[in-house]
Amino acid sequence: MSGLLIKNAFVIDPISGVKGEIMDIAICDGKIVEEAPRDAEIIDAKGHLTLPGGIDSHSHVCGTKVNFGRYMSPEDMRAGRTARKGVMHVTSGYSVPTTFGNSYRYSTMGYTTVLEGAMAPLEARHTHEEFTATPHQDMLANTLFDGNWSVMEAVREKDVKRAAAVVAWTLSAVKGFAIKLTNPGGTEAWGWGRDMSTIHDVVPNFEVTPAEIIGTMIRANELLNLPHSVHLHCNNLGVPGNYRTTLDTISLVPDLNKDRQSLYLTHVQFHSYGGTTWRDICSKSEDITRTINSTPHVVMDMGQIMFGRTTTMTADGPMEFKLYMLHHNKWSNHDVELETGSGIIPVYYSRKSLVNCVMWAIGLELALLTKNPWQCLLSTDSPNGAPFIKYPEIIGLLMSRRFRENERKMIDPRTEHFVPLFAIDRELEWYDIAVMTRAGQAKALGITRIGKGYLTPGAEADVAIYPIKPGEIDPSVEYQQVVAGFSRTLYTIKRGRVVARDGEVVVEGANSTIWSKSNVPAEYDMGSDPEFTRKFEQYYTVRMRNYPVQEVYLPRGKMIASEAFL
Amino acid sequence: MRVILKTRPRAKPKIPIEAEEIIPQNFLRKNDIRVYEGNKERALDDLFFVTYEGPAVSPDQVEIVLTGDTGVIKRVGEYMNAGRIIIEGDIGMHCGNFMSAGEILIRGNADAWLGREMRGGHILCEGNSGHYCAAGYRGEKRGMRGGIVEVRGNSGDFTAEYLSGGEVIIHGDCGDLPGVEMRGGTLVIGGDCSRPCGNMTGGTCMIFGEAHKFLPTFRKNGTDDIVYAGKHYLMNLFRGDVANRGKGTLMVRQ
Repeated sequence: MSGLLIKNAFVIDPISGVKGEIMDIAICDGKIVEEAPRDAEIIDAKGHLTLPGGIDSHSHVCGTKVNFGRYMSPEDMRAGRTARKGVMHVTSGYSVPTTFGNSYRYSTMGYTTVLEGAMAPLEARHTHEEFTATPHQDMLANTLFDGNWSVMEAVREKDVKRAAAVVAWTLSAVKGFAIKLTNPGGTEAWGWGRDMSTIHDVVPNFEVTPAEIIGTMIRANELLNLPHSVHLHCNNLGVPGNYRTTLDTISLVPDLNKDRQSLYLTHVQFHSYGGTTWRDICSKSEDITRTINSTPHVVMDMGQIMFGRTTTMTADGPMEFKLYMLHHNKWSNHDVELETGSGIIPVYYSRKSLVNCVMWAIGLELALLTKNPWQCLLSTDSPNGAPFIKYPEIIGLLMSRRFRENERKMIDPRTEHFVPLFAIDRELEWYDIAVMTRAGQAKALGITRIGKGYLTPGAEADVAIYPIKPGEIDPSVEYQQVVAGFSRTLYTIKRGRVVARDGEVVVEGANSTIWSKSNVPAEYDMGSDPEFTRKFEQYYTVRMRNYPVQEVYLPRGKMIASEAFL
Repeated sequence: MRVILKTRPRAKPKIPIEAEEIIPQNFLRKNDIRVYEGNKERALDDLFFVTYEGPAVSPDQVEIVLTGDTGVIKRVGEYMNAGRIIIEGDIGMHCGNFMSAGEILIRGNADAWLGREMRGGHILCEGNSGHYCAAGYRGEKRGMRGGIVEVRGNSGDFTAEYLSGGEVIIHGDCGDLPGVEMRGGTLVIGGDCSRPCGNMTGGTCMIFGEAHKFLPTFRKNGTDDIVYAGKHYLMNLFRGDVANRGKGTLMVRQ
């Protein structure tokens, strides 16, 4: 039995309703328990801020497109190099680091669970291989269904159950966690040379609209009883005036689940633009947050951008093409047969660019104007808005009006005419930050059922202790200390073991990959459905029996099983 | 102050030496200079006989002389900002990386990436230079930004790739694709080359020899009588690369 006792911890644990109490946390065999074993190792937290391990609900860290980002940007790989030290491997890369780089940097920030935002089912093997090389975080993979031919055919037939069956088969074949829709229908239409400007345009050859895909998938998701809701990257990303599409999309969402949201909107900052062109782009965060505040069954994440160099990568191929036309820099475009596509572009977000300044402000406004922190989670859509190492700075900005005012002096002075940010006085509390960086994610992803995101007995012992004493510093003034504190934990504890101490990783790590399996009745098993099998063998370049990811790719796989209501 | 670095005989002379710390400002402060032999860190004394002659109060007065088997030494003069380095023989890759001021004189040949992404200063190579002379490194969008690189001999492929400022003068021939992706600055080629200036968007390139496999994406823009180094030349003028709306000037001697 290995035990650990954390004494004098200033705990904020929103799921258990702990809002800042000095208490002890006892850990035994990787779980939080009532009482620690007698020979337990003792850590004195000395009143420092102690939170459940961080959870990133949308990040791009593993998979083929991330890897392409690595090798198309050798200049990025030269940045952010660290040498081998103790158990730490050599790392390199700034916006798209190596897998160990990602893992160590997340770990020193106190993150213990990360969701890969988009995994193309056909390329799942590579994603899982990179997961095993990201040893300090439990990994989950959102699986792309936005242009899946079988799904779109089911949507055309208005057959929700068949769509659900296709999803169930694919998720269990590729060991994915949840349904991700990236610009649903849009990437497929673009493959045929079309562009979608609203969610009611028709996808060529399939006669379905994005609205129908979204609606059907939300229902299919609930039929399958999956832990997470549909994870949606709306149509029209990055287009001035796209807030209407976003509002349209939100209005489609029925409230179907009493435990969690029915739709998760990701990187909403990129979907909250007013205006008609890049010249008159303005913030529509007020409209979006007003709708979110009155729609409790929708959760979003910020998709904040931070100034500096980064790489954008998404399954939204058409959007990346538009970006390429703006930058004329290197560009990668990729089609995944019968499923989806992707694009990658390195970008530089500049304080001198009015558009970038407006984008920066919108992200913060979304978090500040959403009344319920459980509905707006902190993310940068790493690395699209900024690499995840910028999270502490975002926390600082959200907690300090003075920090925002100081930034205001450095950005384009016209920005204030286009955004309401500088009129907002709200400063978030420690509790809000705890919700937005771990508890909210755990609840939205539905992984509280496997003990993630809280610290009461029975939970997984993932704990982060930050060198911040909440009673002694005033975050609105001493925001630099907040930023420094959140960048580097005193201790990051993963499954009852200290994995990082004072910004240094101390163990090799062994993560698990969490995937979900919905048990469907035999007549809905697509593996033996003659129509599905025939089309699969006819259209795919791989055989159906070679398609599923074998168990060997998930050395520490952890399945969340659910019973489908089919 | 004059610092003479003579290479010591080594058991395995082919193992490259990485010596980014060999720059004048480090010798002024008499820093503990470390160099790498392969993947092993070494003191400067382990690999060189070091002799100091005379005093110096500023890095401008420091002159480093490298002699012996210098062809395997890489990254000499990286981030150099003052003083002078004289290399009596050949020099390895990445000589004068990012240098911003000062002077490097190479009496032999230089290997690839001579003056990579340099910002200022002067490099003179009396022999030939390798590929990617005065270019940007992999993935970089801007190569050399200022200063002068002069090669008395020939240069390899991709000379002055991504050149965006400063002057590159190659007295001999260039290999394939000199001045590709040029954005600014001046490239002068005394001899022949092939496929010059593909995708250039700015800057000036003068070719006094023959340009083989000339790219079709340059628009003829008349002729001009220019004076270069005190002599008159009649040049054909081209604008391009029109494939990407480039506004560079390419001159080839008639």
